[in-house]
Amino acid sequence: MNTLVRNTGQTRILDLDGDVDLASSPELRETLFDALREAPRVALNLGTIRYIDSSGIAVLLEALREAQRLDRTFVLFGMNPAVHEVFKLTHVTRIFQIVDTEEQALTTP
Amino acid sequence: MIFRATFVISSEPRLLAALRGAMEQITAVFGWNQTDCRAIALALQEALTNKIRHAYHNRPDGIITMEIQARENRMEFRLTDQGDPPDPEKICARADGSLTPGGMGTHIIRDVMDGVLYSSSPEGNHLALTRNFPEPRT
Repeated sequence: MNTLVRNTGQTRILDLDGDVDLASSPELRETLFDALREAPRVALNLGTIRYIDSSGIAVLLEALREAQRLDRTFVLFGMNPAVHEVFKLTHVTRIFQIVDTEEQALTTP
Repeated sequence: MIFRATFVISSEPRLLAALRGAMEQITAVFGWNQTDCRAIALALQEALTNKIRHAYHNRPDGIITMEIQARENRMEFRLTDQGDPPDPEKICARADGSLTPGGMGTHIIRDVMDGVLYSSSPEGNHLALTRNFPEPRT
């Protein structure tokens, strides 16, 4: 898994690439928690993730709880069909703020 | 189709991706579509992940055996470890809408597989998973 970190205004954007599983999810957790501490808005680009399992979804849930605790905005965007299937299987689709594009992620309240 | 395979791997999380790829390719041979192949590979990965986390407590030196066998109308997957046995009271699927992450792997396994059976023997802890073959296309 690789992560590109960039900033647009008040939003920290994380572009994830590769697989998120038991081996890589601790690194994702650290990256997300760092971003939530440092930026008021965090947008996670899931467009080029090839695979995510429940370890990765668990990290996203932890990040959402951390965002709520710190009063941050945490948005997911660019979800591809393979990732969407896993969200459906784990019944978490309605829990997250999910939008289609980066532009929408930048303006989500 | 006669098919039988056995994989013996250590409880090293970095090996999961390679096994996942093999599972997707094996299941494709039996006529499942791409979505189902991915779902079956995901469920197997979740089962392996549970064994790494709960049987071996993330130690990479455990051994997990996965036997795959095609039957008349279904594929059988039997996973065995020699770690700590699962606590039946803690094997539970996650409640919908919960922000608590525990139980998602079990949820996926039960959603994707047609049969799920936990058992123990002197050889170790077993998880037998079955998935019925897709209906032939007409």
